[in-house]
Amino acid sequence: MADRRFPASDRNLKKATIGIPRALLYNRSRILWSTFFHELELKTIFSSPTNRQTQEKGSERAIDEMCLSVKIYLGHVQELIGKCDYILVPRIVSYGIRRTMCTTFEALPDIVRNIFWQESPHILTYNVDLEHSLPEEQALTRMGISLGFLPGQARRAAKRALAAQKKADERQAKETEQLYKESGLRVAVAAHSYVLEDDYIGKPVADYLKKMGVTVIRADQVDRKAALDISAKVSPTLKWELSREIVGSLWMHRSRLDGIILMSVYPCALDSMVNDMIVRKFEGSGIPILQLTMDAQSGTAGVETRLESFIDIIRMRETAQREQERQREQKKQDERDQKEQDKLAARQRKELERQEKDERKQAQRRRKDEEKREKEQAKRAARERKAGERAARGKKETPQGSGEEAH
Amino acid sequence: MAETDRQKKKIGFPMVAHYNCVVQYFVEQGLGQEYILQPQMTRRTMELGAKLAPDMVCTPFKTTLGSMIEALEAGADTLIMSFGLCRLGYYGELAEQILREQGYEFDYVNLAEYTTGKYRDYFKALRRVCPKLNAVRAGKVGLDALKMVEYIDEIEDLYHQNCGFALDHKACRAAYLRFFADMKRAKSRQDIDAGYQKAREALETLPLNKPAHPLRVALIGEYFTVMDEFSNLDLEETIADMGVELHRWMNLSHRNLHYPGEKNLNASIRDLCTYEMGPTSTANIWYARTCAEAGYDGIIHVKSAGCTPEIDIMPVLQRVGQQYKVPTLYLTYDSQTATAGLQTRLEAFYDMIDMRRKVRA
Repeated sequence: MADRRFPASDRNLKKATIGIPRALLYNRSRILWSTFFHELELKTIFSSPTNRQTQEKGSERAIDEMCLSVKIYLGHVQELIGKCDYILVPRIVSYGIRRTMCTTFEALPDIVRNIFWQESPHILTYNVDLEHSLPEEQALTRMGISLGFLPGQARRAAKRALAAQKKADERQAKETEQLYKESGLRVAVAAHSYVLEDDYIGKPVADYLKKMGVTVIRADQVDRKAALDISAKVSPTLKWELSREIVGSLWMHRSRLDGIILMSVYPCALDSMVNDMIVRKFEGSGIPILQLTMDAQSGTAGVETRLESFIDIIRMRETAQREQERQREQKKQDERDQKEQDKLAARQRKELERQEKDERKQAQRRRKDEEKREKEQAKRAARERKAGERAARGKKETPQGSGEEAH
Repeated sequence: MAETDRQKKKIGFPMVAHYNCVVQYFVEQGLGQEYILQPQMTRRTMELGAKLAPDMVCTPFKTTLGSMIEALEAGADTLIMSFGLCRLGYYGELAEQILREQGYEFDYVNLAEYTTGKYRDYFKALRRVCPKLNAVRAGKVGLDALKMVEYIDEIEDLYHQNCGFALDHKACRAAYLRFFADMKRAKSRQDIDAGYQKAREALETLPLNKPAHPLRVALIGEYFTVMDEFSNLDLEETIADMGVELHRWMNLSHRNLHYPGEKNLNASIRDLCTYEMGPTSTANIWYARTCAEAGYDGIIHVKSAGCTPEIDIMPVLQRVGQQYKVPTLYLTYDSQTATAGLQTRLEAFYDMIDMRRKVRA
């Protein structure tokens, strides 16, 4: 049962203070950790939000080639050394098949131990590795036991902590979902939570975007299960949990986005491949994509210029699209008018034709009448003439005629 | 095999160190298909890959992509790509996407797609390559192929531990190269054994001018770059030729065929690292510690630019270096690395460990 790799449990540790670095998985697991330790009635302290000094101090201790986020993390750890009994450095390997984390999360406790081996702070860790059947609940329980708590206590705390975190995640996903329905420019920022929520790297970017009147949507806050399912369709062998959430989220909402900003720290192992894949997969979708790489040197000016130009491009595109739409609409209207006019003209023409026809008919009738009349006149004339002739004859032989009449 | 040449698939595989003759042997003898061996990797391979690959990806992706293109140019119609535990696991899909966008046409077997947690599912991939798979024959040939891997690793070790001291350096090199030519031509287990025996004999009987206690350097580092002589710019040959006995633990036989398991390697380095830090990390730390304890004169750590697992173990290696006072040289290879700079650094390193040895004596 007991993991031989865990420090021997010490009952006195029950009153320990746990230091939590405000970096890497902090934003993803804040509620999990604080609930867990709160349930066990342990005191927690957090390092202060990242600033320039955190980053510089971390970079001093780190290996040059480590990514900026890890350097910052080390800065946070250094700040906590001496201020608490234990520093929480979790080890997260995987949540299942094709649901792994970056290998740095796998190595994190040992990185911290070795970088600060002279200070040798006490590291508190829990080991999540689903591929070796170590789920989160069990890992947290073991950590609780190693702190001297009873298995039951530890398990209850773990369960409550996981439930609280899940609830918070779902609520946040729902809130984010609402943003996709906002009017105005909707730009998704695809970045790991530890990049986007970091006060030194990501926050300034998000704030600046908001200042420009953009609706900033976090791609990583999403219904995780749905996002994972969709990412498996978009890119079947993509195996990093954090990347899959982002890819799935972007793909799900692609019809509702005006632009995507792929923000990563230098040099992010996952993003180096996944961002390229995203750009390739989204090529046909017509959504503008900005790739933003943050490193320790980047002052805000350079980033702001790039953001501005990107937003300008989207706006210009929008305007152009709207203009196009307007023109199309105008054209349609014109066509409609033309048709209307044509119809009117046709109707008038028909009217005219009918009138002409009527006139012709009338003329015909008149002519016929005349002909009739002429015929009748002719007949009458003929009759009169005949009558005249008869009268003339009668004058000659009246008796005959009268005799005939009498007859 | 019943299949005529016309029906045979022409299978290509990216270049990996000296192991392509193993793939060739297995594909041709075991699966009864044709294997297309692309030319050795050159600067062109790197340029082809670097042009198409994302900028920040680790260097092996670029060479892999380049050598896939070269395999297609050489006539392959089916490409096989490996799975892996780090970014290597995503190489296959991204490479396919890039190649297809470039307009290449080929059948693609990406082993990463068959990862389900059960090893037997990889046999489905074999069935796709070869629908009329004769499992018994493939199994038998597969075992021979694994033997070939062991032989290759043995000969490589032998060569790099002795080539710096050979009186007739050319003959030594020739025997080494002849071995690979033999492996490439091998049609049966007898051929493999014969080639191995010949090479072993040739290398062992070569007259050496080796001091009783030569300078010993351990080579550790990233799986691919440390084994592939193109990727590490002939590092082994260069350092060995300075008169150094070079030891490298990392190879296919040790890491894959006879891996003692992470737990057993970790047992002796528990004070340095509690957990596995990456796919090859435990082995590298263990070997560095072992060599440091054995009194090696130096350690060279090799990795490609941006290889996260190897970057992550550097703090541990630095600690080993400090604790045991072993000089450690960290080399990072990217697509721009040129031999001149490397040569200078290696010479300086050699001078340093040589002087240390003399001061201590």
